[in-house]
Amino acid sequence: MSVQLQLTRPVRVLLRKEVRQFLRSRTALLTGLLLPTLIMVVAPVVQLVAAAGGSSAMRGTTAVPAGVPGMSGLTQLSDVFLYVTFPLFFVLAGLMTPSLAATHTVISERERRSIELLVALPVSVTDILTAKTAANLLVAAVTLLPLFVVDAVVVLVLTHAGPLYVMAALLLVLSSLTASIGISLLLALVARDFRTANNLNGFFVVPTMIMTGLCVTLVPGLWRFVVLSLLMLALGGAAYLIAVRWLTFERYLT
Amino acid sequence: MQPVATALAFQSVTKRFRNGRVALADVSWSIARGSRTCLLGPNGAGKSTSIRILEGALRPTAGSAELLGEPVDGPGYAAARMRTGIVPQGPGMYTDLTAREYLRFAAELYETSPDRAIATFGLRDHLRTRLSELSGGFQRRVVLAGALVAEPELLLLDEPTVGLDPKASHEVHEYLRQVMSGRTVLLCTHNLAEAEALCEDVIILREGRVVLRGRLGDLRRGARSRLRLAVHQGPQALAARLNGFGPLRVVGDRVLLEVPDPEREAPRVLRTLLEAGLDVYECTPLQASLEEVFLEAVG
Repeated sequence: MSVQLQLTRPVRVLLRKEVRQFLRSRTALLTGLLLPTLIMVVAPVVQLVAAAGGSSAMRGTTAVPAGVPGMSGLTQLSDVFLYVTFPLFFVLAGLMTPSLAATHTVISERERRSIELLVALPVSVTDILTAKTAANLLVAAVTLLPLFVVDAVVVLVLTHAGPLYVMAALLLVLSSLTASIGISLLLALVARDFRTANNLNGFFVVPTMIMTGLCVTLVPGLWRFVVLSLLMLALGGAAYLIAVRWLTFERYLT
Repeated sequence: MQPVATALAFQSVTKRFRNGRVALADVSWSIARGSRTCLLGPNGAGKSTSIRILEGALRPTAGSAELLGEPVDGPGYAAARMRTGIVPQGPGMYTDLTAREYLRFAAELYETSPDRAIATFGLRDHLRTRLSELSGGFQRRVVLAGALVAEPELLLLDEPTVGLDPKASHEVHEYLRQVMSGRTVLLCTHNLAEAEALCEDVIILREGRVVLRGRLGDLRRGARSRLRLAVHQGPQALAARLNGFGPLRVVGDRVLLEVPDPEREAPRVLRTLLEAGLDVYECTPLQASLEEVFLEAVG
């Protein structure tokens, strides 16, 4: 049994229900919008604006360790932001936003036991989890992609980075979103309540951020985005395999 | 004579959970189309597990289950589910969906309209209320309406009145009587009165095994049928005369005599007592209640 993103009729009906419920939850909306906005727009834009001339202390060149492969050539402060801190923001936002949505759509259904109502209707557990995963992705994509457009505009206007940088960054955001499919599925099958879900989120986010940190310091230029994207896809694939091969969908119901 | 088609079947089904607990152990039973069968058993007997296997939420560890002739893991199962209505046991209620939204959602999945079910269950005035804000009785009506939107030919009811007060239970029973007519029904319950009121056949489960099954009337007749007797001379004199007829028990001023077929035995017993000069003023054949059948079966 596996979750395949096939939007069959039951999945489409379930997906509409999920999105409607998400939009009705103020808590889900607030956390689903606020955190990504802070991570994807506020933090990076403030950094770039400061580096571009807002503050004299932040402006100009910077000294970075010359022997570190990922740091060589990063002479401007804005370069450090673009190539070192921005990938961290993109990975964090790409992973966290679907997880926040998953916590709402998956865990709340299980906690209030309305999942019993769902499985009594002519849908399979696969349909339910596919619809929830699709809803989480949809919510995350609708939230993150407009925020990314803001970032892209600011980057193109305030820095010397060109469209290639924007494309590489977009690849990283999309890879992180894709990885979150496997991670949120794993979350759905393992977490029984909000506390466990939050702990699991932390379990994934902390090592991922360490991995991202290592990658941005060790891989030079735009390659870091490509390598990071591949690592994110591998992480998501591993989480997906663990979810569908070693865990069963019965876990979600029992 | 045409063979009776099978609506539901379990063939050597075993269900073992991750924690090692065996909910069903090599269980086999089947029920015919058009029958109203009660799956009876104490808590933990495997009733809800059986329903969950039939609804496709759980997979048997061994054996196979069929719904309307389709194996639950087979390609025709989805179509069989569209012809099946399921009422789960005490489900949680959505706090963010109204009764109308839930019924529309259920109807969309069954590819039909909810209007008829709304009318049948008298829900028109409560459609704008959120599910979690409805009373227990109305919540159960909404769930029943959701299961019946598509006029299914098979109904699986898992403890449909559990947690309801007597008035709400009575209302739900009335609705069930209405909607069960002409349908195949499997009712899981540990409420014996409910089983007796709504079903003709019974399967009794204990610790994941079938311990008894058959027509309710046959089981009652087969289980400790008795004659209740009373004479003016008192129960001790009566008991002394009844020695040799079968096991007996004195209850107050009456004697309960266990006999295989009370209606057939009554004339012979009565003749013996009258010939012995006892003034018999009561001789009543007693059928075992379902409660007695159940307690005898589950220990």
